[in-house]
Amino acid sequence: MHERFRRLRRRFTFCVACLSGVLLITSQCIEAAPPRKKGRNPANRLPDLKDSEDKLKFLEQIRSSFPTVKSRRRSTYGSADLDEQLEKYISRETRTPLAPIVDDATFVRRVYLDVAGRFPTSAEIKQFVSNTAPDKRSVLIDELLETEEFARKLARYWRTVVFSESNANRNSVNPQAFEDWLFEEFHADSGWDRMVGEMVSATPKRKKDTKPQDNGWHQDHGPNNFVLANERKPELIASATARLFMGISIGCAECHDHPFDKWKREQFHEMAAFFSPGRYYMTDQYDPSQKSVVEAKFLLGEKPPKVLKPDQRRVAGAAYLIYNPDNYWFARAFVNRVWNELLGDGFYSVDSLGPDKEVMHQLVVNRLAASFRYEKFKPKWLYRTILNSRAYQRETRTIERTEDLFTAVRPARLRPYEISDNVEQLVGENKGLSSAINRTFEQDPSIPQRDLEGSIQQALLMMNNGTLNNKLINSSLKKQLMKMKDSKALVTEAFVSVLAREPTAEELSRYEQHIKTSSKRNEAVDDILWVLVNSSEFITKR
Amino acid sequence: MNNNLLHVNLNAGGEITRRNLLRLAGGGFASLAGAGFLKSLGVNAEELKRQGRSCIMVFLNGAPSQMETWDPKPGHENGGPTKAIQTAIPGVEFAEYWPKLAKLAGEFSVIRSMKGKEAAHERGRFHLRTGHRLLGPTRFPHFGSLVAHKLGDPESDIPNFVSLGNTVSSGFLGVEVAPFIVNQAGQLPANVKAMQTGARQQRRMELLSLQDQDLVAAGAKRIAHEHQELYRKASKLMTSLRLKAFTLAGESDKTKQSYGGHAFGKSCLVARRLVEAGVPFVEVQRGGWDMHQNLWQNIPKTAGEVDQGLSALWGDLRDRGLLEKTLVICLGEFGRTPKINQKAPAVGRDHWAKNFNLLIGGSSIQGGVCVGETSSDGLEITDRPVSVEDLFATMCTTMGMDPYEELITPEGRPLQIVSEGFEVSELLT
Repeated sequence: MHERFRRLRRRFTFCVACLSGVLLITSQCIEAAPPRKKGRNPANRLPDLKDSEDKLKFLEQIRSSFPTVKSRRRSTYGSADLDEQLEKYISRETRTPLAPIVDDATFVRRVYLDVAGRFPTSAEIKQFVSNTAPDKRSVLIDELLETEEFARKLARYWRTVVFSESNANRNSVNPQAFEDWLFEEFHADSGWDRMVGEMVSATPKRKKDTKPQDNGWHQDHGPNNFVLANERKPELIASATARLFMGISIGCAECHDHPFDKWKREQFHEMAAFFSPGRYYMTDQYDPSQKSVVEAKFLLGEKPPKVLKPDQRRVAGAAYLIYNPDNYWFARAFVNRVWNELLGDGFYSVDSLGPDKEVMHQLVVNRLAASFRYEKFKPKWLYRTILNSRAYQRETRTIERTEDLFTAVRPARLRPYEISDNVEQLVGENKGLSSAINRTFEQDPSIPQRDLEGSIQQALLMMNNGTLNNKLINSSLKKQLMKMKDSKALVTEAFVSVLAREPTAEELSRYEQHIKTSSKRNEAVDDILWVLVNSSEFITKR
Repeated sequence: MNNNLLHVNLNAGGEITRRNLLRLAGGGFASLAGAGFLKSLGVNAEELKRQGRSCIMVFLNGAPSQMETWDPKPGHENGGPTKAIQTAIPGVEFAEYWPKLAKLAGEFSVIRSMKGKEAAHERGRFHLRTGHRLLGPTRFPHFGSLVAHKLGDPESDIPNFVSLGNTVSSGFLGVEVAPFIVNQAGQLPANVKAMQTGARQQRRMELLSLQDQDLVAAGAKRIAHEHQELYRKASKLMTSLRLKAFTLAGESDKTKQSYGGHAFGKSCLVARRLVEAGVPFVEVQRGGWDMHQNLWQNIPKTAGEVDQGLSALWGDLRDRGLLEKTLVICLGEFGRTPKINQKAPAVGRDHWAKNFNLLIGGSSIQGGVCVGETSSDGLEITDRPVSVEDLFATMCTTMGMDPYEELITPEGRPLQIVSEGFEVSELLT
């Protein structure tokens, strides 16, 4: 272990030198400055990088000299390679058999939830199930990845991820602008590197003579909101950057050395120094009246040239995060999050990775992460690769032991906004109801599915909320069902509309029986709708 | 009136269930039942003793300064401008912001030598509510969930753990004993009125249970079972006669005023009502203690509310004879730096886990004891350090729970409630 560390250290030092070189060389490209004179303190020839356009231009320069992009190497790693490798490693861990591949009806429900963020309509289900083309699953995957719903799903997810731990004043952030910006980026299949680069390097400044709520912090510019959500505080930005974009939890190193990991308090503050608008001071742990200056240094030891101005230093921080080829955490964190969203478990907890030994099937996730990088961090490539794999298309099972991970897909709770969307699909738009659902089902999307739990309040809301229930008994679905004379067809339609699947034979006869034994058909139909909306399946991906 | 009487359930055979009988007994009706009769049911004295025990945890979110609460350092520069006032315990002073509790101090105790390990909020709030540090994938349950698990009636029609404000959850003990979160103290929980009643509601619930069973068959055993459990609990709550304990109905204006009109005071009053109604664990919170800046500007109001609400709660519990079986503990996630920082616009104190203080009383905890001591500059514990684990061992003991009992996690791993701690014996009667 120690030996490995020393080797890594040496490589880090080397790459730091490279990156610093990049910083200076590209600066010459931009300004066409004369060749650098020999001397101990090279002059700062970088442009100021004060506005976001300059920053992006500069990051783009670094990107173009980034080894994996420059080499134009493309990944040949596909879904089949992924499955082969993963199944090999799984068989070494456990004898639990792999779950069978799901049938078409289950697949269509699952893939709509995962890619479009909603249940498929009954027409969409019928069309897919009756289609006989052998490649219909991958065709549907391709179609869904191009929809606006896919981009919206990812944008909403990242909005919640960034804001769920934010205590920023509402007047100084604009989560919707953030979501809309992400939506555009995901829709255009921008690289994840560019999006993060823009978020992390942003330095939103206060507008003079403007109230904060009137775009006083330039919060209407979407990408500014990562920094604003973290209240522009260097410590918060550093902690969120490591947690969200590298999957490493170092926040507690703000006050003392990490209790269970290798991160030292000083390292945390060196990282925070990248995000300081001026000189950065670390407060003494025992005597807060004492402070010492801390120079910026990224987690792998990368040091920016001392001459950099704050805006430039922040861009350098973004570059070290994203374009240091040794920072495998960056690509892997995104891969792990997507995997976690699609299979219900990550290779490790998405935002609290300690030592690397906690990573399950490390070689698989590293390979997938490296390929994601070769594919220029394109989210759609990653989704396509995972969605087409057998690993994703397995039946669900509640996984109890770590060794059994990925032998099946873990059933997952839907996100609050997905539940409210599905409810609105049934009863029509309603702001009050929607916000009640979002509030009551609120969850931090970085918490692993296995640790999420429901609450009595959620049950009470679905059972008894007046608006929901009144709208349900007056819904167009209800009217449609009431027109159906054949009970079998009625129950089938209710299932497809509410749960996005057909009932089993047993379910069919159970509800037919209920209709038959009820004194009023009207009441029986209300009961069926109530039961289906309250069922665990209504809020679960299976 | 004893609300325990309201929820006597009969089992399928028409007999009073054992748990409920014990509740009856714990509620002061032991003499009616007769000890011999209880013995015949296999009830031992130990079990009898812990029946009816409750705990109210008052959590000061953000971590209060020990020097501005119950361990002031007047005369030392680290003490800042805070003055000290004499308490009912001879030789023990509180900070000036706590006049009401100072008068009552002879009835509960202070620990001034708490020794923590976590100085980040999230980790500290977890440590001080569970007795375990946040480590690895296993989530240890909140102490309240443990109490609900050990002392709560699993068939209760009202949650065994209520928290007025968001808190740490039940970890591997599951939703069965998860905290029921109330966001607005004094109001009924939302959506408790059923849409349908009687036979039709029952029929719906039966169909729902079968429907959830279908998801079990589809491989989602855990989610579906949990769902069924939550709906069962929700249904019981909807018809519970004890629902009114969540409100302030029937409380006199005088009582309400004594607790204070603020949210914290209301929470304390609701906590008393819930405990009175037989809820074994209630958490109450007051935030705003993370005073890196403006400490002396903010402390009078923040401390004033807690001083008022907590002292009213204490007096009320005492007057109603509930103190002997109710543990009350008031604490935050850690302490604050004895040295004052230089933050603008006005100074404050930063995070500090090396030493902090708390109040503990009721149940079998002695009154008037001051455990431990810190140096005059506040930087060191000079006498009798108490670890978080020691505190939890003490809490377990006074609640009639074995601190060294092993719990089995769902992965089959045995975990001791307290693994490296010993009860603070000088606190126990």
